[in-house]
Amino acid sequence: MDCYTANWNPLGDSAFYRKYELYSMDWDLKEELRDCLVAAAPYGGPIALLRNPWQKEKAASARPVLEIYSASGMPLASLLWKSGPVVSLGWSAEEELLCVQEDGVVLVYGLHGDFRRHFSMGNEVLQNRVLDARIFHTEFGSGVAILTGAHRFTLSANVGDLKLRRMPEVPGLQSAPSCWTALCQDRVAHILLAVGPDLYLLDHAACSAVTPPGLAPGVSSFLQMAVSFTYRHLALFTDTGYIWMGTASLKEKLCEFNCNIRAPPKQMVWCSRPRSKERAVVVAWERRLMVVGDAPESIQFVLDEDSYLVPELDGVRIFSRSTHEFLHEVPVASEEIFKIASMAPGALLLEAQKEYEKESQKADEYLREIQELGQLTQAVQQCIEAAGHEHRPDMQKSLLRAASFGKCFLDRFPPDSFVRMCQDLRVLNAIRDYHIGIPLTYSQYKQLTIQVLLDRLVLRRLYPLAIQICEYLRLPEVQGVSRILAHWACYKVQQKDVSDEDVARAINQKLGDTPGVSYSDIAARAYGCGRTELAIKLLEYEPRSGEQVPLLLKMKRSKLALSKAIESGDTDLVFTVLLHLKNELNLGDFFMTLRNQPMALSLYRQFCKHQELETLKDLYNQDDNHQELGSFHIRASYAEERIEGRVAALQTAADAFYKAKNEFAAKATEDQMRLLRLQRRLEDELGGQFLDLSLHDTVTTLILGGHNKRAEQLARDFRIPDKRLWWLKLTALADLEDWEELEKFSKSKKSPIGYLPFVEICMKQHNKYEAKKYASRVGPEQKVKALLLVGDVAQAADVAIERRNEAELSLVLSHCTGATDGATADKIQRARAQAQKK
Amino acid sequence: MAAHLSYGRVNLNVLREAVRRELREFLDKCAGSKAIVWDENLTGPFGLIAQYSLLKEHEVEKMFTLKGSRLPAADVKNIIFFVRPRLELMDIIAENVLSEDRRGPARDFHILFVPRRSLLCEQRLKDLGVLGSFIHREEYSLDLIPFDGDLLSMESEGAFKECYLESDQTSLYHAAKGLMTLQALYGTIPQIFGKGECARQVANMMIRMKREFTGSQNSIFPVFDNLLLLDRNVDLLTPLATQLTYEGLIDEIYGIQNSYVKLPPEKFAPKKQGDGSKDLPTEAKKLQLNSAEELYAEIRDKNFNAVGSVLSKKAKVISAAFEERHNAKTVGEIKQFVSQLPHMQAARGSLANHTSIAELIKDVTTSEDFFDKLTVEQEFMSGVDTDKVNSYIEDCIAQKHPLIKVLRLICLQSVCNSGLKQKVLDYYKREILQTYGYEHLLTLHSLEKAGLLRPQPGGRNNYPTIRKTLRLWMDDVNEQRFGLLRALYWYRRCGSQC
Repeated sequence: MDCYTANWNPLGDSAFYRKYELYSMDWDLKEELRDCLVAAAPYGGPIALLRNPWQKEKAASARPVLEIYSASGMPLASLLWKSGPVVSLGWSAEEELLCVQEDGVVLVYGLHGDFRRHFSMGNEVLQNRVLDARIFHTEFGSGVAILTGAHRFTLSANVGDLKLRRMPEVPGLQSAPSCWTALCQDRVAHILLAVGPDLYLLDHAACSAVTPPGLAPGVSSFLQMAVSFTYRHLALFTDTGYIWMGTASLKEKLCEFNCNIRAPPKQMVWCSRPRSKERAVVVAWERRLMVVGDAPESIQFVLDEDSYLVPELDGVRIFSRSTHEFLHEVPVASEEIFKIASMAPGALLLEAQKEYEKESQKADEYLREIQELGQLTQAVQQCIEAAGHEHRPDMQKSLLRAASFGKCFLDRFPPDSFVRMCQDLRVLNAIRDYHIGIPLTYSQYKQLTIQVLLDRLVLRRLYPLAIQICEYLRLPEVQGVSRILAHWACYKVQQKDVSDEDVARAINQKLGDTPGVSYSDIAARAYGCGRTELAIKLLEYEPRSGEQVPLLLKMKRSKLALSKAIESGDTDLVFTVLLHLKNELNLGDFFMTLRNQPMALSLYRQFCKHQELETLKDLYNQDDNHQELGSFHIRASYAEERIEGRVAALQTAADAFYKAKNEFAAKATEDQMRLLRLQRRLEDELGGQFLDLSLHDTVTTLILGGHNKRAEQLARDFRIPDKRLWWLKLTALADLEDWEELEKFSKSKKSPIGYLPFVEICMKQHNKYEAKKYASRVGPEQKVKALLLVGDVAQAADVAIERRNEAELSLVLSHCTGATDGATADKIQRARAQAQKK
Repeated sequence: MAAHLSYGRVNLNVLREAVRRELREFLDKCAGSKAIVWDENLTGPFGLIAQYSLLKEHEVEKMFTLKGSRLPAADVKNIIFFVRPRLELMDIIAENVLSEDRRGPARDFHILFVPRRSLLCEQRLKDLGVLGSFIHREEYSLDLIPFDGDLLSMESEGAFKECYLESDQTSLYHAAKGLMTLQALYGTIPQIFGKGECARQVANMMIRMKREFTGSQNSIFPVFDNLLLLDRNVDLLTPLATQLTYEGLIDEIYGIQNSYVKLPPEKFAPKKQGDGSKDLPTEAKKLQLNSAEELYAEIRDKNFNAVGSVLSKKAKVISAAFEERHNAKTVGEIKQFVSQLPHMQAARGSLANHTSIAELIKDVTTSEDFFDKLTVEQEFMSGVDTDKVNSYIEDCIAQKHPLIKVLRLICLQSVCNSGLKQKVLDYYKREILQTYGYEHLLTLHSLEKAGLLRPQPGGRNNYPTIRKTLRLWMDDVNEQRFGLLRALYWYRRCGSQC
């Protein structure tokens, strides 16, 4: 393994830097990188090249060409640039390409060269032209900073939510600054610029001159400046070949270095790892690459080709026409394990495992050594961690194998860190493949999160890989597979060359009923692309009618929306569509639509009942629903104040009932009219309150008022059945306590209701004397009951015995109380005994 | 507080807590002091899940009933309307809000739709120009309210009427939603059985909704094995007949509303000597009836005839328990006795209440009329003389007994005869119109529309066949034990209200 550290370069005493190849580039570039505008997105993102950007001729062959490649050089897009001259290119955090034109217009392209949108950086920029522009990343998103021809700065901290800010003027600035950069501190974007020997910091309010502490004297100009990935550190390169490194707040100096090269470097970027104490800056000239830090010596590399540096979270990517490399500080775990003659537990464990594979007893010796120091846990952890930082799968494997070997000798080592690392590495190796070309390191991957990584795969239309990763990591369907399928579907609907039918079927086949997929979102997208028919087909698959219906309404498919709403059973939704329809159609068409939808019709009727009574009538009329029309008019009659109005309404109702062939209701309504007129007359003639009494109550009132003749007449006119009339009279007369009249009445003819009610009613009025009169006339069936009511227990007993009725005997017996009825009770008992003997 | 909900085989407190949590979350969204304006129909159901104390904890200082014109003055930051999604209520709310705006200091208005937010209502508020005044507009899906350890209710009294008279299936939709909520908490019910058209619709909606919610599938092990959906329409008979269990009779006579019953106070007057009849309480006595009360849980489903013996047995046990104190000699024994006192006193109070209620009921059940009515009901149900005009019903009409009683009996006869002969039906109808007023033409029409009352088609009566094959009538009912029937009986009130 000695050779493993061959590419490790020490910087100072404590840190090593290594550079390894990620890819040999697949692209077939004809020109040098220096002839192109280049932009590469961080986190292993895509590379954009604009060829011939400075060609002024209008000849088609010489037009600039915009090309987009993956980090491994796989072509993603290529298009002829037809807009104005471009000053600068840059990638946003969402991996959208921002092309800043000279006139201040920023064109936004997708990863596949699809034009998304454009925005302008303001009038001032338009007038003075863009001299230089930078795209920078903040926690809100991606920002654009512009230096205009008037040497003023304009910036927007988030292109997603464009708010232009014009920075204050730098006093006395006559020429363009020698170098400048956008800084982001405390969630605010600043501009740092160098003019001759002076540095200025611009915030949105003021311009202040700043001096880096401990800057070596003799500086007459700053040639290059670099901010670290996290905006925490700043490096300045002066015309004396001196490099100052410190915090971005310019409050503290970290170190300095003198490289003695006075030529301005092409690029200078920070190369440091999060949580590492080491600070280093990579400086690139035409053919030379230098890593400098807090050490007297620097690391030097020779560049064979024109190269481009891309700062990353934990290192620097360097790509040229033929290769793509990564330069970074060797992580602690790797360093401990692989450093020559390292005795770190991880190193010993790796050695032990190797010996074990060779079936050598040395394995045991190494293992014992670690265990004696009690460092086995640490050793395993070290191996796992180091595996994450290795780029080569064989190294990852051997480290993981060592970890797994060490784990065997530990009682309680939680397995999840090991398992998770295996999973992460598998994902990383998959995306690092040159077909995919996303060379993420482990730290970047963790920083980016799996969700963002999936989004990026989706953005590259690598749907199958994304789905495989989701399934492999067992992500919940809603966050994982479904989301990706939905994205796929949204992409699919944009394929204009495929027929609606096929697209809808393909989408449904893939998506099926996958949970969490919103067909309405996809349909909305299809509608957005002008494919209404497709949208409707897709909506067929949408189970949530709450989503389906509004979109259908938006697409003016109200009738379809109506049937969908009805299907859902959500009445509120039905109402919504109904009211929409009502505004959209003329009344006749609206009614016709309703006719075919009984449920909607009945709901609408309910609505009308409470809100628009007249419409309800129209509805019934249209349907020739005379029965309901009749009911409607009856209800309406009660709203009329005057009796004539009521009668008129009732007449209409009666007519409707006749039409509905409901003779009974029609007759009843006519009776009601007759009664109303009659009551009115009674009120006129007799005074008192008659209106709205029922027929029964009208007759009762008449009897109570002593108008027996009229009562009789009324009863005859309305053919009140005899039985009820008797009850009625009986009750009324008893209420009047007109016992004489009652008796006369009882004798008028044979009572159709028997005489028990007479007894009962008299007893109710506590008139035992009258009650007894009738008790004797009660038929044999009810005689016992009647006698008991008037309290004649003895006679009741006699009757019961005579009738030999067991139930009645018990009834009488239960009425026998104490001493008074003792004899009667005995008599009954005897009769019973006798009956039983027989 | 609601311990009785957790006694059953399914812990319904989970559901109750879930709805309470939702309420608290909503209240906390509206920071600061609040006044609630109540849709009157909601106060009852809400009482079952959240007492005033809960509201108070969340800074609810005032409560009003939703009425027209302006709101009573209240010095609060938020005014929250708790309403059903009804258009007519929206008009009132708009009136309230507009008059409040004129009054002065700006308040924050919120609206909570129960159980469903409605686009229609929001549109109405928008038309009235007040939609923007509401900061939070949310829905509170109070569909199934835990009533007892084994009973959930939607407390939607008009459901039958809406479904069968107005063909409005909103309540079915709510039922399906409620069942979905239930499944979210207690796991997906693996089997659904059902009978009747509405049951089918609810089941269909549930299947549909399941598709809608598939994203949030839960992996809770199902607590319920089966779901049985019954359309009330399948059995119109049960709700028409008089309930004969203890609880049923309380409901028949006094009406149970949201598990509360209001009783005449005389029987409950504290029996103290010397007070005389000076201050007899005049306000109705309000009692909550649920299985939290041990005694009530025991007797609620018993046939009323069996209640008396239970009560007297209980009385003996309690007085024996109180007698124990004489046996308590040592300090330890006395301490033990004292520790049981609260429980015993509660039991004694409960016994006193139920004895009084039983007395009240007995007054009714021993009356001759009650007996006659039962006799007629039983005759109908056993198929005796169902095709003629019944003289008891005639007499009831003639004596102008409550219309509801008459209608129940006629409908019962109609159901037991697979509809009435046209002549009989017309006779009854005429009698009712003449006695109770012609306005009941609409009532009768509604009954016919709902199928409770109908002419016999083709003059054939298939009720006797059904009765025999399905064994609907049991001659030897064990009066002591009814059990499950309670849940079925519960819906009878819905049936009798159209």
